[in-house]
Amino acid sequence: MRVARLWLTDFRNYTSVEAELAAGLTVVVGRNGEGKTSLLEGIGYLATLSSFRGVPNEALVRSGAPRAVVRAEGERESRSLIVEAEIPTSGRGRVLVNHQPLRRSRDLLGALRITVFSPDDLELVKGGPAGRRRYLDDVLVSLHPKHDALRVDVERVLRQRTTLLRQSGGRLTAEIATTLDVWDAQLVEHGEALVAARLELLQRLEPELTKAYAGLAGGGQVSARYEASWPMDGGLAAALAASRANDLRRGVTLVGPHRDEVALGIDGLPARTHASQGEQRSLALALRLAAHAVVREVTGEPPVLLLDDVFSELDAGRSHALVELLPSGQAVLTTAGPVPEGAEPERVLRVESGVLS
Amino acid sequence: MYAGPVQDLIDELGRLPGVGPKSAQRIAFHLLKLPKDDALRLASVITEVKERISFCRRCFNVCEGEECELCLDTRRDPTLVCVVEEPRDIVAVEKTQEFKGRYHVLQGAISPIEGIGPEQLRVKELLARMDAEGIAEVILCTNPNIEGEATAMYLARLLKPLGVKVTRIASGLPVGGDLEYADELTLGRALEGRREVEA
Ligand SMILES: Nc1ncnc2c1ncn2[C@@H]1O[C@H](COP(=O)(O)OP(=O)(O)O)[C@@H](O)[C@H]1O
Ligand SMILES: [Mg+2]
Ligand SMILES: [Zn+2]
Repeated sequence: MRVARLWLTDFRNYTSVEAELAAGLTVVVGRNGEGKTSLLEGIGYLATLSSFRGVPNEALVRSGAPRAVVRAEGERESRSLIVEAEIPTSGRGRVLVNHQPLRRSRDLLGALRITVFSPDDLELVKGGPAGRRRYLDDVLVSLHPKHDALRVDVERVLRQRTTLLRQSGGRLTAEIATTLDVWDAQLVEHGEALVAARLELLQRLEPELTKAYAGLAGGGQVSARYEASWPMDGGLAAALAASRANDLRRGVTLVGPHRDEVALGIDGLPARTHASQGEQRSLALALRLAAHAVVREVTGEPPVLLLDDVFSELDAGRSHALVELLPSGQAVLTTAGPVPEGAEPERVLRVESGVLS
Repeated sequence: MYAGPVQDLIDELGRLPGVGPKSAQRIAFHLLKLPKDDALRLASVITEVKERISFCRRCFNVCEGEECELCLDTRRDPTLVCVVEEPRDIVAVEKTQEFKGRYHVLQGAISPIEGIGPEQLRVKELLARMDAEGIAEVILCTNPNIEGEATAMYLARLLKPLGVKVTRIASGLPVGGDLEYADELTLGRALEGRREVEA
């Protein structure tokens, strides 16, 4: 859906605010610490029911308030839609669609999709494999909410299996073995499904990634290769069996989708260790652009672009290239400086201490 | 901290499932404000269930006396057993009016995180019923979540070698959902479309 109007109540440093967003580009201007990122975070919350800054919900509630409320009015398939999320400081929040509470909050996923660009994206390239796995899984959830259930299931099985390993104290009794067999089978079922979905996604992403990177950096061959933590032709079941003794001794699950890597390369060299800062930045942007393109293609609807302070980190050349490459559709861009050259905002909002004008 | 009995009440309430410290406090103060008769009625029904109600010695459903009504009902097919996690799941299955066999309540599902292994469940008792009651088919009606699936798989692996038919309710249930919340229609369809489990 496209967001026409947004309300934030006791969200971050906003007490109560209403914002109208353009169908195309809205630019949010303000000095640092005034509430630019928080505004995007509010929109993002309605898409994923979590903060893209990766903080717990209670950080989102204005300090001293019992709960935050984020509401958006928009249009989806030419029907008007009002989505609203209540975020209490503790416990489970409520989600309402057209004023009707949803039985399961998860059912909101897919109503609003977003692509977030943030300065932290550099970590996608420079950081550890967890960030890259999360990137893939987030895109999968955008493509279909069923992937959220899959991801949660895999995490849950892993927690159960790891707990059992620790409870065993390293000793494999017959009783532990039969129960472990069952958790292994669960991990195989859900883990292999998750990996299959990641592999399929990566295949769709790769051409888009190459295209976006070429547009940003003017050339260079990008590769993104899935490196499973186990020999994939043998299957996860065999790998778990082979790893069982080690797993028991160390009290951790050493193979599985939670240990996999997505190796990024530029011109045949690992991007994490060999690429220049500028190349890494271009690759991070390209990952976001590629995700956006794939979600748009598969769902038939462009996600809302949220660009948080990304132009300040870019040199003139890359900044210009990014503006050129930005897909059409709704976008909200924040900046502490001037509006990036070439961008044509339909609306400009100024933010100061959680007040919009 | 509050004075003696008030804090005791908060502590006891806080031990109930799904009740955190904040809710425990809220409920405690609600009870304090309640008219005396209302509060004592609550206390007396708690006493009464603890005195009169226990678990059926055959299926571990809640019952008055030794065996529950469902086990005593001679019109029900004794060769068909539906395995559920909790007594409340029996209520959910009964509402569908699709099932005419007997039940077995596990009193939970396998979950190492909660310290529940097969030994904490009524698994041995289920196995003992197979021969004793001539059970031909077991329908595994555990919740369609990770723990329910793991429990179903565990039971299937124990039961299949005994030569009984083992089926699992078909999905149609919301993913990650609890049986208790499934509406009657979905649950009824799920029972009709039950499938054999891989062991
Ligand atoms: N839960 C909260 N309650 C009150 N203020 C908050 C909360 N969380 C963050 N803030 C404040 O909100 C302000 C705006 O933060 P942010 O949106 O990140 O600013 P910007 O992106 O404009 O630099 C910061 O000064 C921060 O201290
Ligand atoms: Mg910011
Ligand atoms: Zn009984």
